[in-house]
Amino acid sequence: MTKTVRSCLAITLRMILGGLFIYAGALKIADPVVFAGNVAAYAILPTFGNYLVAATLPWVELICGVLLLTGYRLRAGATLIILMNLVFTVALASAIIRGLEIDCGCFRQAGPKTTPMSALLRDLGLMAGTLLLLWLDGWRSGRDNVS
Amino acid sequence: MTVFLKLVTQMIVIVVVAAGIGLVLNRRMLVEAWTGTVNQSPTGELPNAHRLPLPLGIMQVKELFDRGEGYVIDARDAATFAGGHIRGARSLPLAEVEKQLPEFLKQFPKTMPLVIYCNGYGCHDSMELGKKLIRAGYWEIFIFEGGYPQWREEGYPVEGTKP
Repeated sequence: MTKTVRSCLAITLRMILGGLFIYAGALKIADPVVFAGNVAAYAILPTFGNYLVAATLPWVELICGVLLLTGYRLRAGATLIILMNLVFTVALASAIIRGLEIDCGCFRQAGPKTTPMSALLRDLGLMAGTLLLLWLDGWRSGRDNVS
Repeated sequence: MTVFLKLVTQMIVIVVVAAGIGLVLNRRMLVEAWTGTVNQSPTGELPNAHRLPLPLGIMQVKELFDRGEGYVIDARDAATFAGGHIRGARSLPLAEVEKQLPEFLKQFPKTMPLVIYCNGYGCHDSMELGKKLIRAGYWEIFIFEGGYPQWREEGYPVEGTKP
């Protein structure tokens, strides 16, 4: 893989993933109470925990999205996105195991439902994309986002 | 190891900053959630987010209908509704709920009992519409699972049927 191809691929991935997380975060920030309802539907956290997650998680998503898009602190942002996706995947898997018929609450806060299974597959895809981005970033020379 | 520590530190800083912004901007919602007054939130969204529409049998629906309590909502599409529906029912097709909801919210208070039906036991549109209306803040949502076919077969009042 040439350096140009790697760099183009990394930029494309950054735009897509960054854009997606900014979009996901912004939608939830716009209506935290509805998002709290979606979190509550997973029946994992106590009542107040649902609100706490609804108040904070979208901002982590948004900021990580901005970091990915700008390339600033890329590895920290990308690693956080992977960690968040891991948590989402576990939550969705538990919803599937318990047979909960819920909307994942991932993007749209109302409207057509995304089933837990399709949301889980999407999360795994996003995780793979972010891992690929980290790997491509690791190949880059002359610039270390961590230092 | 130093690189790893730096990465972890950066991640912690990001989370703390993001969570801080979220906590400050949503402080009112959090205080209300903590004190248990959040159900007075204008959207009325969370407290009933868990609830599911309650299925009703035809006798109970007829009783509500006769007493004039609540309102009957038809979840089928507009053309099917035009071809015959329970007398006095209001059409709110599942496919158009997003479009029609603002007008619907103005017309029907959230405390009003709503009985939703569609095309009988094989039809799930009424249940889906019921869930959406609960999410929109309605409190008393009932599903008439026998739907229009059962109502018509019983000879109960219908309108819009072609002669």
